[in-house]
Amino acid sequence: MAGLHHKSFTDEPRLAPAVVKKAFVTALAVGGVGLVASAAALAMGDEVRRRFFFSYLAAFALVLTISLGALFFTIIHHLTRATWSAGLRRIAENFAGLMPVVAVLFVPVVLGIHELYHWSHEAAPLHDPIIGHKASYLNTGFFIGRAVFFFVLWSAIALFFRRNSVKQDETGDTSLTFKMRKLAPVSTLAFALSVSFAGFDWMMSLDPHWFSTMFGVWTFAGSMVVCMASLGLAALWLTKNGALTHTITTGNLHDIGKLMFGFIVFWAYISFCQYFLIWYANIPEETAFYLHRLEHGWGSMFKLIVVGHFALPFWFLMSRHVKRKRIGLGLGAGWMVLMHYVDLYYVIMPSNPDLHGMTFHWLDLTTLLGVGGIYVAFFVRQFGRDAAVAHRDPQLVASMEYDNA
Amino acid sequence: MAQATNETIFPPPLVEGGQTFASITDTVCRIVEERPTLGWFAAFGVANVGLLMLLVSIAWLIWEGTGIWGLNNPAGWGWAIVNFVFWVGIGHAGTLISAILFLFRQKWRTAINRFAEAMTIFAVICALVFPGIHVGRIWAAYWMFPLPNQMGMWPNFRSPLLWDVFAVSTYFTVSLLFWYVGLVPDLATLRDRAKNKIAFYAYGILSLGWRGANRHWQNYERAYLLLAALATPLVLSVHTIVSFDFAVSLVPGWHTTIFPPYFVAGAIFSGFAMVLTLAIPSRKIFGLEDFITVRHIENMNKIILVTGTMVGYAYAMEFFIAWYSASEFEGFAFVNRALGPFGWAYFIMVSCNVITPQFFWFKKIRTSIAATFILSIFVNIGMWFERFVITMSLHRDYIPSSWDYYQPTAWDISTLIGSFGLFFTCFLLFLKFLPAVAMAEIKGVLPQADPHWEGYHKEHAKEAHHG
Repeated sequence: MAGLHHKSFTDEPRLAPAVVKKAFVTALAVGGVGLVASAAALAMGDEVRRRFFFSYLAAFALVLTISLGALFFTIIHHLTRATWSAGLRRIAENFAGLMPVVAVLFVPVVLGIHELYHWSHEAAPLHDPIIGHKASYLNTGFFIGRAVFFFVLWSAIALFFRRNSVKQDETGDTSLTFKMRKLAPVSTLAFALSVSFAGFDWMMSLDPHWFSTMFGVWTFAGSMVVCMASLGLAALWLTKNGALTHTITTGNLHDIGKLMFGFIVFWAYISFCQYFLIWYANIPEETAFYLHRLEHGWGSMFKLIVVGHFALPFWFLMSRHVKRKRIGLGLGAGWMVLMHYVDLYYVIMPSNPDLHGMTFHWLDLTTLLGVGGIYVAFFVRQFGRDAAVAHRDPQLVASMEYDNA
Repeated sequence: MAQATNETIFPPPLVEGGQTFASITDTVCRIVEERPTLGWFAAFGVANVGLLMLLVSIAWLIWEGTGIWGLNNPAGWGWAIVNFVFWVGIGHAGTLISAILFLFRQKWRTAINRFAEAMTIFAVICALVFPGIHVGRIWAAYWMFPLPNQMGMWPNFRSPLLWDVFAVSTYFTVSLLFWYVGLVPDLATLRDRAKNKIAFYAYGILSLGWRGANRHWQNYERAYLLLAALATPLVLSVHTIVSFDFAVSLVPGWHTTIFPPYFVAGAIFSGFAMVLTLAIPSRKIFGLEDFITVRHIENMNKIILVTGTMVGYAYAMEFFIAWYSASEFEGFAFVNRALGPFGWAYFIMVSCNVITPQFFWFKKIRTSIAATFILSIFVNIGMWFERFVITMSLHRDYIPSSWDYYQPTAWDISTLIGSFGLFFTCFLLFLKFLPAVAMAEIKGVLPQADPHWEGYHKEHAKEAHHG
């Protein structure tokens, strides 16, 4: 690092416009069809209507956690003054920069508040003393207020980092790096608290009697798994289209794989501890959550998560060769995005009071395609406007030379 | 380009003061080879008094039973568990520095890993004393192990107290191995420099025939990486299981799902504070300022800030969920913790653990050695009190008629002080007989270690000139 660089940045910093356009149009078409098909459910009776909101929430949670994880990745890059991730930073900034889009995607959740959140019914706090106890926190006004606050906060942080990063592309000003580093610590603090409460609000309160101090950490852990997986997929997509082939090195892909592996283990640790402590103490108000999710067929999804979200990727991604091969990392990352969705589905869907067991619905697919398509379209669009890499980042060349093989 | 601060994009060099390979060996070996100073003897004497105190306290405990402690009916767990968790927690920083920072390729760890690991081992020894003695009937201590008694009864495998024995002893074994493997090249250096026969043979046997061959280094580095990868999940599992001791129970204030990561963060927090408490005087006394630089101290302070804030986050979550759960007992446990008879301890805990580290937001304080030393001691105190506060959830149980207050006896206090005596006796012996800084590793982070180092041309030119 002592100024003796053997490499230099020679790639074209932008993605070819034709590639962006094709991906954007495809994703937008898929998203549009998905959303229109899903919206049809709103006119198909109460039960389908409620199912729509539950399916939608699961799909929304998937894209939300990608952006949240990417926001944390961006912040932590500056906080730790990391070098290795300089070439990948823009991808994370683009995921995190979608926060305003995610905020718009949240609107249907607010519209479906009565279908989703049983505590939001006016009568609920009156008839149910437990909900009554927490009515000062769980009430529609405060719930929406908090959501607005979270999205404003996350968007502000995400756009601060993305704008300064893009500005550096033009000016090459090193002081921007220091500026971003300066805001990283306080952003971390704001992030940790807001993510926890967002997890409590949007997922934990689906079952308003149930509580777990670990839930905020669980939300974070899943976000990081899906963030690393998405980062890996996006890096593979860019390089496959001939962009940044010399900038995003095998070493970078390997490091993405290592962090994904690490966060899979972290997620497993957090999920296991939460389950285990509740199982061991065996107090009815806590076990109700898992008991419900182990009966009526949901138990098979529990097993799928244990194997698919932990055991399988743990052994698969342990090997150095798998993480350094494009196909290996791509398979692992794609699988983890799917498994993360299953994990969210498993927490969200059983709270639907209409369901009497594990049943799938075409709405699960259409909402996933709808929300996912829109999200991917806006993600891709950013590559049309700005460079695909922070190409004047003073650490970029060092990140290209860095390889912990 | 103008810089907004006096920072640089890339971090400053890890070793200061123009040290060379030879000067590193000299500086570190001198500590071992020279006669101990008067100060060392004085410290060793004080530590020995403490150790003696511990031995006497334990002897009296075994003779008389746990009645000599302040235990009472609702508070059946007192200082013994507090001290156990405190010491195990201290140990965690050593493994974090040596294993986890190694996996993250944080090269600044090389200056502090050796004695942080030593600290781990001695802290775990101190910790292991407590489960051993708190059984009261020492002849039944083997009940901690998976051995059936004379009635053919096995210990309860579903008890986290039994898992503790497995976890801590595995952790101790792997930490010791990791430490020893790292020591081998340095022990060989001491052997090669030994002036007397005893030292030569002692270091010679311990260095396992190390000759610094290419093959030796290759095996060494592979072994070191594997041990680091093994030690990482182990260290997390140890404090996780320690947290299970509390969290699997039905005691309000103990049974909460965030305990495992919260305990791990607290352990790292307290351990880094202890590393600083030990490193700051040691670097001064033994002239190690070029290795343990202000940058190292600042980095450790940042970790203290991060982990201290995580602990604060856990306190906040516990409080929020205690209210949110609408459980009357949960809510009472936390209100009682903050405002009940042990409110003073809660106040010490929060001010030392959550407020103290916030000073490290300021670079001036982070880089001030005196301030760091003082704050590190506050953190040590705060983390002891955290375990005390948690344990004291017992003092007001479900039956108000049995509520009581925990009052430590003189024997509680002498055992705690005595455990510091044991720790410092071991630590001072380590400083005297083993290299306190990993010489071989720190040479690896010098710019000279890079085969493409610019300075080589200059040195070669000089040699050619002298001809």
